[in-house]
Amino acid sequence: MAKQTSLGLALAIMALAAWGIYSALDWPLKSKLFPLVIAIPLFCLAAAEALWVFFAKDAAASASDFKLSQDQSPEVARRRTALAAGWIVGFFVLVLLLGFPIAVAAFVFVYLKLQGKEGWLFSAVFTAAVWFFFYGLFDLVLHMHFPDGWLFGGFGGF
Amino acid sequence: MLDAFVQGLVLVLQWKAFAFMLAGIFVGFWVGLLPGLGGATTLALMLPFIYNMQPVEAFAFLLGMHSVVATTGDITSILFGVPGEATTAAIILDGHAMAKKGEAGRALGAALASSLVGALIGAAALAAAIPVVRPLVLTFGSPELFMLAIVGLAFIASLSAQGARGMVRGFLAGGLGLFLAMIGQDPQAGMARYTLDTLYLWQGLDLVPVLVGLFAIPEIIDLVVRGTSIAGDAPAGRINRGALEGVKDVFRHFWLTIRCALIGTFIGITPGLGGAVAQWMAYGHATQSARTPEERKGFGQGDVRGVIGPGAACNSKEGGALIPTIAFGVPGSTSMAILLGGFFLLGLVPGPDMLTKHLDVTFSLVWTIVLANIITVAACFLLLNRLTALTAIQGHLLVPVVLVLVFIGSYTSNSSYADLIVTMVFGAVGYFMVVAGWPRAPLVLGLVLGKIAENYLYISVARYDAAWLGRPVVIVLLVIAVGVVLYPIVQALRARRSHG
Repeated sequence: MAKQTSLGLALAIMALAAWGIYSALDWPLKSKLFPLVIAIPLFCLAAAEALWVFFAKDAAASASDFKLSQDQSPEVARRRTALAAGWIVGFFVLVLLLGFPIAVAAFVFVYLKLQGKEGWLFSAVFTAAVWFFFYGLFDLVLHMHFPDGWLFGGFGGF
Repeated sequence: MLDAFVQGLVLVLQWKAFAFMLAGIFVGFWVGLLPGLGGATTLALMLPFIYNMQPVEAFAFLLGMHSVVATTGDITSILFGVPGEATTAAIILDGHAMAKKGEAGRALGAALASSLVGALIGAAALAAAIPVVRPLVLTFGSPELFMLAIVGLAFIASLSAQGARGMVRGFLAGGLGLFLAMIGQDPQAGMARYTLDTLYLWQGLDLVPVLVGLFAIPEIIDLVVRGTSIAGDAPAGRINRGALEGVKDVFRHFWLTIRCALIGTFIGITPGLGGAVAQWMAYGHATQSARTPEERKGFGQGDVRGVIGPGAACNSKEGGALIPTIAFGVPGSTSMAILLGGFFLLGLVPGPDMLTKHLDVTFSLVWTIVLANIITVAACFLLLNRLTALTAIQGHLLVPVVLVLVFIGSYTSNSSYADLIVTMVFGAVGYFMVVAGWPRAPLVLGLVLGKIAENYLYISVARYDAAWLGRPVVIVLLVIAVGVVLYPIVQALRARRSHG
């Protein structure tokens, strides 16, 4: 999995750098100097990483960075990862359609009910607490403007 | 001078100034805890309130607020893996890893103690630098500032992964960050670069949505996958017991704390680099303190030195950043630029007057940093048990709350839904980087340094042609950059020889 992901990232960066170099060729010298100085070595480094993935026999040492937990079986981990990604994208869609104030309440409640398997009363009280914190701090205290969702106020907010 | 030093303390301790400082600390405490709401934004929001204040009261309020934001930002970063501030992202790597091992108390204790030591060193540097600051700042022109950016990138790229391949990945991530920094209007010719014909990208990628996505989204996914609390199966009693151990860790690695605080102070003094750079350079230096490649593998898995380094640098930079702001009216960061606005609102002109006529006001700034940090750290220690208990809350209760904060924090940077898309895109990039074992730190540093490096390189070439490469400080910094890249290789060769 790590190997394929590393290859995918390297190829994506190669494509990005190639596009960066191609786009920069038409620009005046002032604008293209730094992009070319960065994008050309970036392409070479990404190509080196891709070749390394193809030809290296042993796995690379991992970075000094956060590691995903290995407690679950790969199949469970994959399923739950897809589920988490679904919740994140789902919340974004809710924000777009309903606007932040309604989406926050709807998302917290639905998440607690479906993912957390919590009871109706607990979910309702918890959702109300989160919503009042959100409303009290960002709306009442900080006077931040959150546009209506696309369902209520057109396509604002971009 | 000594009179002004004491007078500065007396001014801050007057009841009105002290009360304003406490109010500032209260606001800064919460701003730091909430992801996305930055110290600079809050300073700007609070600026209109200082019109009717005396200079000392106004600065006690503004600086009291600003100097504690990074301290409490560390708490969110450690407990939830979500950067409380753009300047507290580096502490996530080891701090949050410790929280997941049930050592949240120790990580918080270390972060708070190192923050306090850092703040005191930054304030001491400010006090000590007042008479000698001029030649120091004037030594650094555009060529030196460009090289300093290169040293920073070399530091983090070469130290955040092991072996030759790890270094390639480090530089690859750094290069990607530099490339992404070029998105937006080019500062020299005004050309729109890589903007995909969208207005949002004309101003470039905002750091907050990128950071929040890169660091918070992979953590949220992992929390869902694990299906437990952040501290997992760690026994509940252990979580909050380590705070004192964390404080002791700071004194066990006291010289590392001092060195990282000095790195932070120096970066703070240097105009244009800012806190987002200081934390990563300090993290790189902390990684370098590992004596063997095996020891270095512990970084990112919960090594307390990875908490102490960024913690100290983040707070010491405030004192450093005030030096050019007060002495020359040259702000070292966005926050300092806003604070400079505060000087003018109150009728104070930064420059020689601040070092002679208003020296007591200048020293009151030093005392504000010291007192605000002592009060905040004491308050945090009192609340520590309650804060660390948050890591024992079940994941399904935390995920929706953290995700709401992530989305709102990201949205507040430009009030645009495009910020949320940036967060999700970088969330995916961060997740894949974690899966592939690529370091994320060089990407962030590349993104932060990209625009700065391009500007300074352009000015250097326009002003000196190739002669800038021969300037003494540039040569010294170049040697340091090469040394930083070669150091892990020499270290690995030595280890192989001693094993073989």
